[in-house]
Amino acid sequence: MFLTADEEAVLNGECGEGPEIAMSVLAKLGDIYKADRMIKVESVHIDGAAYGWISDAGLELVERFCSAGATFRVPTTLNPSSIDFNIWRELHIPTSIAEKQFRLARAFKKMGAIPTWTCAPYQSGANLRCGQNIAWGESNAVTFANTVVGARTEKLGDLADICAGVLGKYPEFGLYLDENRRGQILFEINGLDANSFTCTDYGVLGFFIGSTAGARVPVVTGIPGNVTPDQLKAFCTAAAVGGSVSLCHICGVTPGSRTIAEACGGTKPEEKISVGLNELNETWEKLNTIQEERPEVICVGCPHCSIEELVKVAHIIRGKKVEKDVRLLVFTSRIAKTLAHKMGLIDIIEAAGGEVIADTCWNFVPIKRQRVAMTDSVKLAWVSLHKFTDVILNSTEKCIETALGTRS
Amino acid sequence: MPKMRKIIVKCSPVLMGVAEGEALVTKQPLCLYDSLDPKSGLIMNRRHELYGENVSRKVLIFPYGTGSTTSSATILQASRCNKAPNAIINLETEPTIAIGALLAERLYGKLIPIVDKPEINPVEVIKKGDLVKVDANAGLIEVIKKQHSRPHRPAQQIHKI
Repeated sequence: MFLTADEEAVLNGECGEGPEIAMSVLAKLGDIYKADRMIKVESVHIDGAAYGWISDAGLELVERFCSAGATFRVPTTLNPSSIDFNIWRELHIPTSIAEKQFRLARAFKKMGAIPTWTCAPYQSGANLRCGQNIAWGESNAVTFANTVVGARTEKLGDLADICAGVLGKYPEFGLYLDENRRGQILFEINGLDANSFTCTDYGVLGFFIGSTAGARVPVVTGIPGNVTPDQLKAFCTAAAVGGSVSLCHICGVTPGSRTIAEACGGTKPEEKISVGLNELNETWEKLNTIQEERPEVICVGCPHCSIEELVKVAHIIRGKKVEKDVRLLVFTSRIAKTLAHKMGLIDIIEAAGGEVIADTCWNFVPIKRQRVAMTDSVKLAWVSLHKFTDVILNSTEKCIETALGTRS
Repeated sequence: MPKMRKIIVKCSPVLMGVAEGEALVTKQPLCLYDSLDPKSGLIMNRRHELYGENVSRKVLIFPYGTGSTTSSATILQASRCNKAPNAIINLETEPTIAIGALLAERLYGKLIPIVDKPEINPVEVIKKGDLVKVDANAGLIEVIKKQHSRPHRPAQQIHKI
């Protein structure tokens, strides 16, 4: 890979140890993936901001960057932390974990990070535009940025994102290049009324597409133009978790992909797959591990609820009570929780017995009795079997109604 | 002299170095983040066919990584805890996997050679327990088949280059 004189100087340690570590790792990564050069990025989102994810190895790296005086060169947002910074004690998070998360938070602050602590930074704190080169981690955020915003990013591995922030640069390979963004496999929604889809239905659709596309870039037709950002969030998240999708051309939604021909960059898709009720039902059966069982934990907000989703939860739950032996956990960003608080929504949810948790992820909240969980999130259903014995997947409405015992 | 079957497979280097170990093979994509416990090296994901296996000091063979981008930190932490695999073979190595190993080398001086694009799908020639040597510098995988207790079969050598 070609490095400019300035980049060579960074590599030789002339700008300090922090940038030198970042450049040495990213230059080698660029060599492996045959990048021609480093490119400037305008935004970084750090996936591994939680101690629970990056462990002591990650904490050591961040503190090493920090003590070497390295700072983030571009706006750099943070994924969820291991704790809700306000109520971690009430959530029974061990002090030893919280202390290490506070150390990470101090180091990130000193480096100039924007403390969003959310997995949906595109809804709370990160400002993007179409066509921009960015360097993001967190598979759902990467897929949303590429698919919905039309920004360009590879899916950065944890800690590579921190290196990218320190340099404001990343090697140009993969999805930074036009030729790798072309659609290759076409999914046509047939015989389904996508207008009646819930966010969870969009998740199931995304999971089917992600798991079927493999390493190819999918194109999808039949999604209505009035699809909501939250539905797209559910779709992108599940597409990323189902396979290795980081970009899906949604015809009529993805910028520059009004038609199949545009999505495929003038070429024809290699394969065409029809998606109907059978495909969605089979996918749902894979994700939902148990039939009608009473869940003890109900989680919504994976990825973090937007302010609109908090409005919806509060609307369903207003004036009712969560059943005694059930925990309803609602995960969101600090920004959305602050707005919701000002709107009186947090009071409504808490009065009903729900818990609204910010800054963190369901993964890190200790659950006393590990049994059956229920969620509206395909991602949670797919990746949470280390925490729950079984998972029930259904819409947000059904999740809340189940918590209230009012589900028909 | 015990009977031995040796297979050599060409591949592309991802991360340089030479290492060997017992093979741990899966045809299923693997997300190290939600599957691997870096402190023990154990695969904890009940949905994965490697559930209960230990990757530590093995040559870990899987087609490609899926899902979470946290896998890089998982590899780095496993390396820090001395529970990382000795080498990795993929059909296609994702940057998430590569970056974890690059950081392990830079921060802890621990090499995890990685190769991908083998000329034969490793699942077809490598079985669990085979001794595998990964020579990323030369772009070669050397497989010495595990001895099965079937007597009276002549030793066989296959060189496939």
